[in-house]
Amino acid sequence: MNEQRDDRLTVAARQLATEIQPQRDLWPGIERAITEAPPRRSRWTPMFAQAAAIVLLVGASSGLTYLAVKDDGPVVISQPAPDYTFERTSFGGSHTLGNDYLDSRADVVARFEQQVERLSPAEREDVERSLEVIRGAIDDINAALLQDPDNTLLQDLLMKTYHEELNVMRKVGGVTQSVMSRRDI
Amino acid sequence: MAALLAMETGDNTAGMVSRTAISMRDETALVARAQSGDTRAFEALYREHVDRVYGLCLRMTGNVGEAEDCAQEAFIQAWKKLARFRGDSAFGTWMHRIAVNAVLGRIRKSKREQDRIQAVAEMTTSPASIGDSGELRDLSDAIDRLPEGARHVFVLNAVYGYSHEESSDMLGIAVGTSKAQLHRARRLLAQQLKEQGFEA
Repeated sequence: MNEQRDDRLTVAARQLATEIQPQRDLWPGIERAITEAPPRRSRWTPMFAQAAAIVLLVGASSGLTYLAVKDDGPVVISQPAPDYTFERTSFGGSHTLGNDYLDSRADVVARFEQQVERLSPAEREDVERSLEVIRGAIDDINAALLQDPDNTLLQDLLMKTYHEELNVMRKVGGVTQSVMSRRDI
Repeated sequence: MAALLAMETGDNTAGMVSRTAISMRDETALVARAQSGDTRAFEALYREHVDRVYGLCLRMTGNVGEAEDCAQEAFIQAWKKLARFRGDSAFGTWMHRIAVNAVLGRIRKSKREQDRIQAVAEMTTSPASIGDSGELRDLSDAIDRLPEGARHVFVLNAVYGYSHEESSDMLGIAVGTSKAQLHRARRLLAQQLKEQGFEA
């Protein structure tokens, strides 16, 4: 009896419209939101980028702290933070990351992407927001470094920001210390 | 209910929805252009998918204003995350996932759910029934009156054809919870429709 009822409901439910036209055009609001923000790199002076990067890092760190202390997630693996080191000299004039580092990072990213899918939407949103902030900071600092390549404060900030990005992915992906200990940046 | 159920079987199965307006190849090209920053290409993707995204938001929230906000938020988030879309799933499925997150995020941040239930209960015709005709409106209205958890699972599973695995993943709940909520939704719907004089 119940099965018959469920079948009827299922058949009826699949008749319902899945495509419904909004009563107003939503595009103008979307367009405004996606085009409103001016190109970041062209308007930011190195000094402004430095200040903003610091603010962003503080924000990102707060998010990370929240993630780290929150223990209700089913998958987030909390491990002692490995004491990995970044070599200043390999940063060089171009401020690019070495191939070895990029290979290792690809492993971290792969594990992160597997694990992040298992988080709840709320946790995933927190992680993505943190990474978005951090990656925005990386872009800003790189843009500032193009204008002021020898600025040691910016170089330090860039290293710390990459460190933060790896920390987030490590926390989610449960990355081992052996990967994180490579001194190849 | 009998007349309602006598209608022909449709096909709302999530993985089987065919797009006629633009081909998959065109869509892939549009996504690539949008990923490079072309807002016109993204607008074309919006035009192609907005009805389905808005439909899902409206069925999940049962409120026109919130559905509009959620649909807008979903497309804004999609623009921001577009670089990470690698085509592993269809663009429409990816958009649906973002839309569900937008709805859940909005509900989490809002304390207005009780107000919404009250408002829906006072309505003679629910806004989610806009796209439905005839007696399907009764079912649509009944879905709107379901408790939030049961409504979300029923919409994703029964209306949009997602599997329990897919819908539980989108909603961040266990598969068992999804099954239990679907069972609860069916029971409550049958009860509501019976009270309205339909044969359940």
